[in-house]
Amino acid sequence: MSARFIDWIWHIRGTLALAPEQSSDEAFGRLDPLFRQTGTSQDRANDTLTFRKKDQAAQDKMSVFDGGVLQIEKGVAGPVLRYHLTSRALLFCFLAPLLFLGFAGLTVAIGKLEKPATEASGKKKPDKKDIELPQNPIDKALGSPAPEKPKKDGTDKSKEDDKKPSPTSAYVFAAIFAALYVVGRILEARLVKGLFRKSLLGT
Amino acid sequence: MDGIRVGKRLIGTQSPVTVGWDNIPRVEGGPVKQFIFTWFQPTMLFALIAFWYYAPNSIAKASTAIGIGIGFKVLLLALEWVNPRYESWRLTWKEMVTDLFYVGLGYTLLNVIEYYIGSDAVIEAVQHSFDWDKLAWFTGLPLLVQALLISLIFDFGQYWMHRGMHNWYPLWLPHSVHHYITQLNINKGAVGNPVELLLIGIGIGGFFDFLPRAVLLAGAIGLAIGTYQHINVRFNSPRWWRFLFNTTEHHSLHHSQDFESTRSNYSNTYIFIDRIFGTCIDGEAELLGMEGGRRMSIREQMTYPFTEGWKTIKERFGKERFGAPVAVPAE
Repeated sequence: MSARFIDWIWHIRGTLALAPEQSSDEAFGRLDPLFRQTGTSQDRANDTLTFRKKDQAAQDKMSVFDGGVLQIEKGVAGPVLRYHLTSRALLFCFLAPLLFLGFAGLTVAIGKLEKPATEASGKKKPDKKDIELPQNPIDKALGSPAPEKPKKDGTDKSKEDDKKPSPTSAYVFAAIFAALYVVGRILEARLVKGLFRKSLLGT
Repeated sequence: MDGIRVGKRLIGTQSPVTVGWDNIPRVEGGPVKQFIFTWFQPTMLFALIAFWYYAPNSIAKASTAIGIGIGFKVLLLALEWVNPRYESWRLTWKEMVTDLFYVGLGYTLLNVIEYYIGSDAVIEAVQHSFDWDKLAWFTGLPLLVQALLISLIFDFGQYWMHRGMHNWYPLWLPHSVHHYITQLNINKGAVGNPVELLLIGIGIGGFFDFLPRAVLLAGAIGLAIGTYQHINVRFNSPRWWRFLFNTTEHHSLHHSQDFESTRSNYSNTYIFIDRIFGTCIDGEAELLGMEGGRRMSIREQMTYPFTEGWKTIKERFGKERFGAPVAVPAE
């Protein structure tokens, strides 16, 4: 299987038609400020620009990308910018749901291991029956509800179980990251295209 | 940079900071916006206190508190969008993913770990072996007094823990990662090495739905004040608020690239604790982080305390044993 079948996950490819009279020198000159950011190194040879980013700043407009190649080709209708960018953040976000599903599995597994122990210690001595929890007269006067006891004296041992760590939050976060990935994959591809267009064509 | 003298120290010699409330910009916009961003914080605080004071017992539970906490953060996220304090702190997709990853760790993995070894043991004690009679003198106090005492004692502990982290290398190592954040957003409080998050017990808990009402109230006070530490919103916080409570302004100074500024404003909730111990500086900063604002990747955030600690150990103890030649004349 070719890597291309899966590498769209963290690779963003695209093309952008340039103004007919724009030379590659001029085009790369216009893109230059994007690659003069902290942590960015670039290498230009003729019609190809290769860049790398390390510890890029949060507000670097291309911070989501860690490297890439930009090429200017002669198309039929004029010069075309072809870009190929890679993003570890996208890959990370794509894999994050798996990580959280793993956490969910771990929580369930540990819960199962724990269960016998809980049942063994399930028999608690019943608490004293009739403790009146104190409430300050001021709070009574202001209408705050009277305090209740934490539990009905060991009669509801079944509740012991639902206090176990639940995997629900891990499932929720898996879903959140899956959604974030879809948003990010579409959004960041559009944003970077817009960024290149704005720099190159000024629109 | 000249810096500004605050008490005995020079603030802002390494990176620009603003000192003094009069020098801090105010909310820009029409009267409605001004009104909202002046009164939002006190209104939410008093609304939350009223809610927890009057909520029926069936609602006054830890799970409700967690729900409110999430809802409140979503609301604040919207405020960040509407009225950012600095454009340079705008939440990007990548920042959001990074922050939520740490929030997610808090709700899942750290939560499970804490359940078995950590701070939840305390709640376990409250639940099962709590002698209510012995604490009757406390639980008989007015609710709000109880809540204030709980949050004050807790914040006092957090103040010294945090100050300790900035003064003792073994504690600084796990905390340092949190200081590599370069902007403040709602969920940035969760960003840091997980070892630190365990140390300060940031995990969400909530395995025990029952909590005394005073504890829930104390938690709500912490939520309605402490959450603003890491937020990119410009507020006109009232003067009394800024005097009593920690604000995003105070905390941005604490995160400044200027070393001297980071050694201030340690409290989570009550900035007057800093005032009492002489570590409070009223001001703000935009340029945040360490090493000139280098942004750390998640991978480095995970390993930094260990690799850095190992480096230090090697520097300290390694040399005499393995490295440097010892000048002993051979005979």
